[in-house]
Amino acid sequence: MDTQLELLQGTLDMLILKAVSLGPLHGYGVLLRIQQISKDRLEIQQGSLYPALYRLEHQGWITSEWGESENKRKAKYYRLTAAGKRKLQTESEKWNRMADVIAGILQSTPEEV
Amino acid sequence: MRMWSRVRSWVRAVTGRARMEGEMDSELRFHIEAFAEDLVRSGVPREEALRRARIEFGGVERAKEECREARGVRVLETLWQDMRFGLRMLRKNVGFTTTAVLALALGIGVNTTVFTAFDALVLRPRPVKEPERLVGVYRTAQGESHGALSYPDYVYYRDHSKTLSDVAMFGGGMGVTTPDLRSASSGELPRVAGAAGFHMPQLLQGSAQPLSCFFVSGNYFQLLGTQPAAGRLFLPEDDKEGAPPVVVLSGNFWQSQFHSNPGIIGSTIHLNRVVFTIVGVTPADYLGTVSFVPVLWAPIAARPLVGDGTREALENRSVNSGIVYGHLKSGVSLQDAEAELGILSGQLRAAFPEVERNTGARVVSERAIGHVDSEAWPVVVAAMAAVALLLLIACANVASLLLARAATRRREIGVRLSLGAGRRRLLQQLLIESTLIALLAGAVGLPLASWALHLLVVEIASSLPSYWGAIALEVTPDIRICGYTVLVSLVTGVAFGLTPALQALRTDVNSALKDSGSMLGQRVSKSRLRDLLIVAQVAACLVLLINSALLLRGSQRALRIDPGFDSKHDVYLEMYDPAHLGYSQSKLLQLNRQIREEIAGLPSVTSVTQASRGPISGGNRFVPVTTSDAAPPASPEQADKRPWVGYSYVLPNYFETLDIPIVRGRSFTVEEAEAEAPVVVISEATARRFWPDQNPIGKRLAIGSANGQAYAGETAPFSPGSEVIGIARDVRNLSLRKLDDSYFYLPLSQSRRCTRTFVVRASGSPSSLLPALGSAIRRVDANFPVVAAPLDWMVSFDPYFVISRIGGILSSIVGTLGLFLACLGVYGMVGYSVVERTHEIGIRIALGAQPPQVLGLVLRESARPMLLGTVIGIALSAAVSQLLSAMLFGLNPVDGISFTGVSLLLIVVALFAGWLPARRAMRVDPMVALRYE
Repeated sequence: MDTQLELLQGTLDMLILKAVSLGPLHGYGVLLRIQQISKDRLEIQQGSLYPALYRLEHQGWITSEWGESENKRKAKYYRLTAAGKRKLQTESEKWNRMADVIAGILQSTPEEV
Repeated sequence: MRMWSRVRSWVRAVTGRARMEGEMDSELRFHIEAFAEDLVRSGVPREEALRRARIEFGGVERAKEECREARGVRVLETLWQDMRFGLRMLRKNVGFTTTAVLALALGIGVNTTVFTAFDALVLRPRPVKEPERLVGVYRTAQGESHGALSYPDYVYYRDHSKTLSDVAMFGGGMGVTTPDLRSASSGELPRVAGAAGFHMPQLLQGSAQPLSCFFVSGNYFQLLGTQPAAGRLFLPEDDKEGAPPVVVLSGNFWQSQFHSNPGIIGSTIHLNRVVFTIVGVTPADYLGTVSFVPVLWAPIAARPLVGDGTREALENRSVNSGIVYGHLKSGVSLQDAEAELGILSGQLRAAFPEVERNTGARVVSERAIGHVDSEAWPVVVAAMAAVALLLLIACANVASLLLARAATRRREIGVRLSLGAGRRRLLQQLLIESTLIALLAGAVGLPLASWALHLLVVEIASSLPSYWGAIALEVTPDIRICGYTVLVSLVTGVAFGLTPALQALRTDVNSALKDSGSMLGQRVSKSRLRDLLIVAQVAACLVLLINSALLLRGSQRALRIDPGFDSKHDVYLEMYDPAHLGYSQSKLLQLNRQIREEIAGLPSVTSVTQASRGPISGGNRFVPVTTSDAAPPASPEQADKRPWVGYSYVLPNYFETLDIPIVRGRSFTVEEAEAEAPVVVISEATARRFWPDQNPIGKRLAIGSANGQAYAGETAPFSPGSEVIGIARDVRNLSLRKLDDSYFYLPLSQSRRCTRTFVVRASGSPSSLLPALGSAIRRVDANFPVVAAPLDWMVSFDPYFVISRIGGILSSIVGTLGLFLACLGVYGMVGYSVVERTHEIGIRIALGAQPPQVLGLVLRESARPMLLGTVIGIALSAAVSQLLSAMLFGLNPVDGISFTGVSLLLIVVALFAGWLPARRAMRVDPMVALRYE
């Protein structure tokens, strides 16, 4: 496995929204899913997960409710709201555009400048 | 949408705090356990798994803290924390806290007092139905802007107005006596009013006590929407001629006299020997549209029954007896109503040309008790400005105290900054501290204000004559006043706390931590701010004190004005409405004569005279006058262009009793007076006006006209040619402000005209004569209520005197408070300066400085801003006094004594306040000081 990339600041929110968009999850589940779909290439600070979740809920992108986990324990499940869905859309578009621009800059050879 | 969800989540976080904590706790625990279970599944033992999970997670508490912050509950928490810290700090420095709170409480309390009074008189609507639509209709005429209306005019407006509904009339008041009740008068002068120089004539002891009775039209209570406390109130049927006489008691009278017994409804009471049925009771303290609570209310139609029997007040259009009120109909504005009434009064003028000449109508809002018309606004603004100035002084005071204290907290702030406290958070905490001080001050100031107001109202009420009725003014603070006080407190808290807080934050962390002794760089900027505050305080204080001195001296001058007649030896007596006793005219004349003879027989009485009205006692009467050889007026309009001259009917010995010299000619003879011959004595000014540079003796004046304007109960004088037989010296009959422009005296016939005013010349002190006068009158007729006062006291009636006096006293109080505060500021500033410079002072003393030199050094620092403040204060006072002298009477705007005296007083007191702590500087032990950090 390659060394895990450190998460750029601010992208955690986007990843959480994406993870939750695939289905309601509790906090630990969000962590597992992100690791899963990144194929373990991302390193996530566990301590910063919950503040991010609370922030996203405060802003209205996700909403929470208490339910039962797989092993019959009480857990708080988060899911995406309609506004959150739109937010995820716009954020991904912005990210892709930014990635294109940066990649273009980094690939320029001395002759092209 | 985002905003709303944020707010919602914040509210939920705040209200369900415990629940949120619990949920957060179980959520995080679930996460760690789930992670631990995964580790267990991959073969790690349980204990080890839990341990690894916790370590992997990181700090649980920190995560929780960040979660809380994400929900926005931090703000409230920090506020609460800062408040607790602030309270602790205040409790630690009890001395500082008490001083600051008291200083501010004075400023806030005084402000609240003035605002409450203003609110009660001007802002608060009357407690009637729909006060916004209540209006008053007044007559306008030459020299009158709020004139009363006559009853026939009232009826005309009532029946013809389309813009006003429920037009009712308040028909004035009258004292009535009843044999059923006899109450005692106190005869004691009220303390405060007496000390301030106000003396109202009181009823002579032992004379009969009239009960105040107000007359109103039948629909008056309906207009105001009043509900009776018992029984019923008037209906239009009660106000018809020939209706059975009914009367309504005031709630206060019902409580005090009948102990709220509902059984008296329906019983009868004798008023001025007429039987009335009591039909109901108004609520306690019910005022209607007046300012005093009467004892009784009666219908206007009943007035002739208790009065002198004539129906003049009801039928004569020239007798202006009442004030008219009405409701604006919906959709009608004040201007519409006034326009319509202008048309109606024009119709009256066309129909009754002699009577209704030159009169118009005016409609004014009656929403609140007081009218602040254009003349009164400057006084109100001045009063508000004065108390605002006091509050400013208080704020400057506390700000300088805070600044001084910030110097001692430099180290603490430096430590907190270095530990990572955000500057904004520190600012918040310092502001909260000052706001706490302000709120505490507001809590102290509010009861202070209500106590002061209560005292004022009680004192004013007890100084007014009892036969005017009782005062019922609502001056207890209500929610609005409390809200105003809290608002003022908060604003002042932020105002005076902001600058010191900002100053404190500019602390350089390094030097604060090292806290080296003199810190010259810091000190200069801070002391400049402190100096500014001292300058402001001293200047504001001077403005208040100098102007109060000017006002007081002005009012003193008013007292010393020579009115022209001798007021020092005379007593003024007035019969209070003798007509109500139902005596016939001949009986009244006989009583006049008997009273005069009885009084003349008293040992210390030099002479006694009668007049239709006394000097400076109000009720001035005017009549148009020209010289007899001028052409007679061609039309009624021309007749009115004649000058209106004041007059009174007097007995021949009037002039000698009042010591008014007759400079030319003579006074009336007894025969001329008896016959009411066509002769007059005119004043010097009148002589100069009509016959300049000629001898007026023997010339004739044409007085009045055949059906001239009458005043209630009096016909206007009419004489086509009265001979001038004498000229009297000019006096101030009409107003204290100046000598009469013109005045003349007509002969009074003792057998044909009875008057209510007596003037008695005493050989000794007039006030000691009062009891003897009382018993003399009682010997003649025990039913007569008589009001008496030494003539000197009448001066205190003059409105300009009253305003100057009251203004002077109030601003003295406020100014003294300001002086106290300013001295406190100086004391504090010098004190802390000494503490700060102890190190430096120790060095100086060690190097050989003498104690007086040290004292001088410390005082010089505070003397500079004081002098600057004094200069600015004097300049500002001069400006303010120019404004005041335009409004008030007798004020000398450049009264040198006031200016220099007050400035010197301030400087001396302030220097003393600075000297006290400076003494400590002299006693500094250099060894201790050098070690002091």
